[in-house]
Amino acid sequence: MLGTVSAVWVFVETLNAREQNLRRIRNAALAVAIFMVAAWIFGGYWYLHFYPVEKAMILKGPWPFAHNLFMETKEHLFLTTLILSFYLPIAARDRLPSNAAARRMVLCVAALIALSGLAIEGSGAVIDHGVKVELLRPSETGAQK
Amino acid sequence: MSADSDSTLGRSSAAFGMAAAITAIFNTLIACVKDAYHPLLNLMNAIAGHNWTTQGLADVILFVGLGLIFSKAGEVQGIRAERLILFLAVAVTLADAGLFAWYAVF
Repeated sequence: MLGTVSAVWVFVETLNAREQNLRRIRNAALAVAIFMVAAWIFGGYWYLHFYPVEKAMILKGPWPFAHNLFMETKEHLFLTTLILSFYLPIAARDRLPSNAAARRMVLCVAALIALSGLAIEGSGAVIDHGVKVELLRPSETGAQK
Repeated sequence: MSADSDSTLGRSSAAFGMAAAITAIFNTLIACVKDAYHPLLNLMNAIAGHNWTTQGLADVILFVGLGLIFSKAGEVQGIRAERLILFLAVAVTLADAGLFAWYAVF
């Protein structure tokens, strides 16, 4: 989420790129990369070590698509977003105030990161709900789990 | 914003932009292939402990490797900036939509 917010920050700053905010744009672009790497490490650790239990619950519940479609898409889509976040600080090294093409590239990459970040967050909500609907499902004895 | 005096991407920006576009396509292809071809999935599980970890590392290595190669060659910088930006945007959008379509259908 911090990576997505930072990408929006880069986008807005780049719309008004001047010599005065060039350093801020580059720092924000670097922040996107750092936050995405942190998400890769910590989210990846959670995914590999703790998610399998939730995955099993989702798959036997009424919303198996929460894993089969949303988690599978999310985990692989994140890797594309990660690569874009590595690229953003490189693109931001160009002379943005005087170079329209460089500005358009940074705007494009920041927008792609922000949009895919929102898609990833939305997928996370569906996955969470996939667990919830299984937990709220009445068991065979009639009681909630 | 000051007047634009330049409308070409820098060497690194162009090179790594092309590398990012190719890596996005590679990422989707490898996700589909490992799903359909289990020996590859098993190999990727064996390399880094989990196929997702291996895929992430492969993506990063490919991105950095291609970026450095393109930077050294310098040919990507000759591509018009607008075309490169469009190629990156289309590649990433199709790659992401392709992932969703793959998991929706299979």
